[in-house]
Amino acid sequence: MLNYGKMKNQNKNQKFCNGIFKFPLVKQGQMKIQQMAFMMVAIFIFFALVGMLIITTKFSGLKEQANLLHEENAMRLASKIANSPEFSCGNSFETSEASCVDFDKVMALKEQIKNNPNIYKDFWGDVSKIEIIKIYPSEENITKCTNKNYPNCSKLTLISGQGMSKGNFITLCRKEFKNAQTYDKCELAQIFVNYEVVE
Amino acid sequence: MKKAQLNLSFGWIFAIIVGAVILLLTIYGVTKFINTSGQEQDIAGAKKLGILFNSLETGPESVTSTPFKISSETKIYNTCNNFGGFGKQKISFSTLTFKKWSSPSGEVSFKNRYLFSNRSVQGKKFYFFVKPFEFPFKVADLVYLTSAEDKYCFDDGVPDEVKEEISDLNQENIAPNCSEANEQTIEICFSGTCEIEVNLYKNYVKKGDDTLYFVTPEKGFGEKDYSLMYAAIFSDKKTYECQLKRLLFRTKELALLYKGKIKISREGLNLEDDLTSLITQIEHYNDSSDLKGFTNQVETLKQKNENVKLW
Repeated sequence: MLNYGKMKNQNKNQKFCNGIFKFPLVKQGQMKIQQMAFMMVAIFIFFALVGMLIITTKFSGLKEQANLLHEENAMRLASKIANSPEFSCGNSFETSEASCVDFDKVMALKEQIKNNPNIYKDFWGDVSKIEIIKIYPSEENITKCTNKNYPNCSKLTLISGQGMSKGNFITLCRKEFKNAQTYDKCELAQIFVNYEVVE
Repeated sequence: MKKAQLNLSFGWIFAIIVGAVILLLTIYGVTKFINTSGQEQDIAGAKKLGILFNSLETGPESVTSTPFKISSETKIYNTCNNFGGFGKQKISFSTLTFKKWSSPSGEVSFKNRYLFSNRSVQGKKFYFFVKPFEFPFKVADLVYLTSAEDKYCFDDGVPDEVKEEISDLNQENIAPNCSEANEQTIEICFSGTCEIEVNLYKNYVKKGDDTLYFVTPEKGFGEKDYSLMYAAIFSDKKTYECQLKRLLFRTKELALLYKGKIKISREGLNLEDDLTSLITQIEHYNDSSDLKGFTNQVETLKQKNENVKLW
């Protein structure tokens, strides 16, 4: 048997209305305040979500833009680095042409970088790798250039790293000493400039 | 007697407070967003300028002029520091938005670029021209930046060689003579007094109280290398002196590189001592007034290299 009187005392704020159990409101206004509060919180969350969506889209565009700029930089650098004083043939060889790299000078540069890696750090900008590979006359085994095997080698790595690479064809020239005479020896090579991709 | 009362229910007060908070947050967010977008544009602009520099590397040929356009009024800040060896060339942009200059942001730095200009250059269209600097071997390409709004003209005392070079540049803000100059045009005079005075006998450029010294090494065939003279003309003293220190550091490193090349190729052994002397001289360099002391050493190296072709 239900003791309605006791129940009434225990749950003063509870009421049955048309068979539905409801919390009684002290004033009608409180309901409106709650509605408004919920509405405002909902609006706030909505705007926050829209804002986040915009920012996410914008930042994904930024990454794309940064990668495009890195790629463009690497491409231009690959095509122009051969003319920079650390690489270029200058007037050392019979023909003074663009995109000619002085192999002896680059080998000396490799030594200088090896002895003092900090000095040339970031010297060519956001570049993760610079490598020169001889392509003609072709050699069966690609051998890395060191002090011991130079000039009988085909791959010279100035800066080693990862990333996407952009290449350009160059003439790789050096002085060859044969039969008590020095002459210019030029070969076809490719210079690769790598850039790091922003993930 | 009834007093006038503002009868606000709790609901209204709550709505006003929460509404104000939401509005403030929105305004803050939008302002931040606009600032970030502006900064993003400035950084991208500075980066693009840097990429453009990479494509300005000169080959065995010529002097080139390149225009650079920006959609809104912009200030390009040219900052130089000579710390850590090669030093750094820093570029930052500031754009005019809603009649207000944004703070210079997104500094982009380069270790192998040398930009000669005033501390800040303002405009929508800019020009640069590039000239190789040889001391006595090629050290770098010097980039001279001017705004299309700043007009320059060279007076009648200008050497024919320079006049011809300026004419060939075909850069609309630099005239090889002052016949069409107006009040705004900055006159560069080689005789007499004006805003920028060039003395080719004593090798200096005078701008107000500042004196910037330069050298004009022989290029061969009676021609001279005026790259440092242009640098002194188009940049302020602080930038000029800083860039010069950076350039000389690179000269030193290249001299070491050529010494390394001598060891590898066994060619040009007679140049080794002179390269060492040049390195020592550079190590004692203070400012542009010391440049003249380098002339003999540079000339000796140049002459000795004629036969050996080390560079």
